[in-house]
Amino acid sequence: MTVKMEASEGGMPHNTLMIYGIIVALVGTYLTYLNVVTGIAVFSFFGGIGAIAALWWGSDTIKHLCSYGLGTGVPSAGMIAFGAGAIAMIAGTKFGIFSPIVTLILAAIIGAVIGYIANNIINMNIPVMIMSLVELAIVGAMTMLGFASMCTGTFMFNGLVIGGMTLSMEPAAAAAGGAQTFMVTVLPEFAGSLIGGAALAVIFFLGAIALQHPFNACLGPNESQDRTLMLAIEVGFLSMFVVAVMSYAFLDMMSATVGIIISLIGWIYTYKQYIALSKRDAYDWLDSKPIREVGGDQ
Amino acid sequence: MSALGGAAAGGEGINPTGAVVGIVILLVSIAATYALGFSIVPLIGIIIGGALIGFGVHFVPVGGAPAAMGQAPGIATGVAMLAAGAGLAGLFGGAWAYEATGDFAVAVAGGAVGGGLMMAITCLMVNATYVFAMGIPAASGKVEKDPITGDTFPEYKSQGTEGHGLPFVSFVGGVIGGFIAGLGGTLIYIELLDVYHANLPVIMQADAAAIEPLAISLAGIFAIGFFLVNAVLAAYNITGTIEGPHDPKFKRVPRAVIGCAVASAFCGFISMLIVMNIGM
Repeated sequence: MTVKMEASEGGMPHNTLMIYGIIVALVGTYLTYLNVVTGIAVFSFFGGIGAIAALWWGSDTIKHLCSYGLGTGVPSAGMIAFGAGAIAMIAGTKFGIFSPIVTLILAAIIGAVIGYIANNIINMNIPVMIMSLVELAIVGAMTMLGFASMCTGTFMFNGLVIGGMTLSMEPAAAAAGGAQTFMVTVLPEFAGSLIGGAALAVIFFLGAIALQHPFNACLGPNESQDRTLMLAIEVGFLSMFVVAVMSYAFLDMMSATVGIIISLIGWIYTYKQYIALSKRDAYDWLDSKPIREVGGDQ
Repeated sequence: MSALGGAAAGGEGINPTGAVVGIVILLVSIAATYALGFSIVPLIGIIIGGALIGFGVHFVPVGGAPAAMGQAPGIATGVAMLAAGAGLAGLFGGAWAYEATGDFAVAVAGGAVGGGLMMAITCLMVNATYVFAMGIPAASGKVEKDPITGDTFPEYKSQGTEGHGLPFVSFVGGVIGGFIAGLGGTLIYIELLDVYHANLPVIMQADAAAIEPLAISLAGIFAIGFFLVNAVLAAYNITGTIEGPHDPKFKRVPRAVIGCAVASAFCGFISMLIVMNIGM
């Protein structure tokens, strides 16, 4: 650790950040339940906001964990977070209205077991290892749950696996009086859903890239917390934009468009903020112009 | 490699307390699965698959950032990326073989060949890039002679580096590693798929044919999750880089096998909860 590194250790304390992250992620995911209460799906975008809060907190956790020199690179932390988080998230959605809380608890347990394995069986002996992997598993699970609930408008298992209903008409046997009668049954259709269509795998990697990128991009002697976290929010909005595009397949036109507009506004704002912070931290800033077309014979 | 420095942990031995606690977690997971009324055979398959992934990663010559600069031997990327590549290639091959034949042995072999093939192509192209684009010969810094071909290394090794390029033994290690890791990933996928095939129609009250895409997707996403967890745990064990089976770090492999088996057992138990009827 150099002196410059210590200078960047100020900012918001990690525990405060963690509490904000958990609360906003939980509340954001729960606000998508307004879809069920009101009957319209425009509240789905709150899931994305919750996911961004989780990513924002997770970037700071990765910074704490990776400053110990794991040797494996920053992206591996994002991958293990989402690998553990995916298992917790899918199992957690079975619990109806309690899904977000159960997901959080399950993720914490899985993270603790993996953290214990990494620290004590594989002998990493890093003081923050267990706590960091608990946090990262929760971040992975809450991000996936937030994006999934934004994409489909619900955080419950049935909503995530049933893509639509098809009517099946079969001629009823031995119809009385020779009249043509049919037996109509409603069959759930699974292939067009978020999990059944494996669209969850896209969310998996969208979240994993958004989690691993901010600290990987900003690390170094001049790293500062507000810039890293602003980049986390920016890539979070960028992932949210893709999720909003995916939600056209599952939600009505208006709800998906609301998601697109909010994620675009958020992304443009945070991108400008991030560039401003980068200019603040940079020694000098040369604005290279786009390559101009040279006219004539050249 | 982290740019922030700090000593990498490690050491060679097994931590007895940790290993015992880990085995207790493994046994408790198996017992809990049994107590909930599931067959434990799929969970055993998942545990073996996870241990195979952890074992296979140790064969793969992972070079990381120093390898990209030609200062260390191996493939110039991290374990997470390489394992994901080999594992997913194996998984696709195995899943397709299972779909086409329905035969367990053919599917597992298909997964293994898929993973091995992906690593063989990667190693070949990496060496082509090293030799013809970067202009560096293959030389290991950890051993004097290639254990397979008997080629000597010191006269080709540049000063100040740990070796460079991809020697033949690393190439063979990469193919073996992809083979074993692809086999493990496919084993996990097939065991989970069988569990979901048998139980999802019951708890979702749906037709077995209609539930097919859901069972495949769930098993696939879980298999990716398992694969990444096990691969990163193995990566932690080798602290990011290894040259192949001849590297001294290869002696740490028992720790990773125990760790990956325990992680797979616990995560496998959680993934069985999907098909438990909770009543919500």
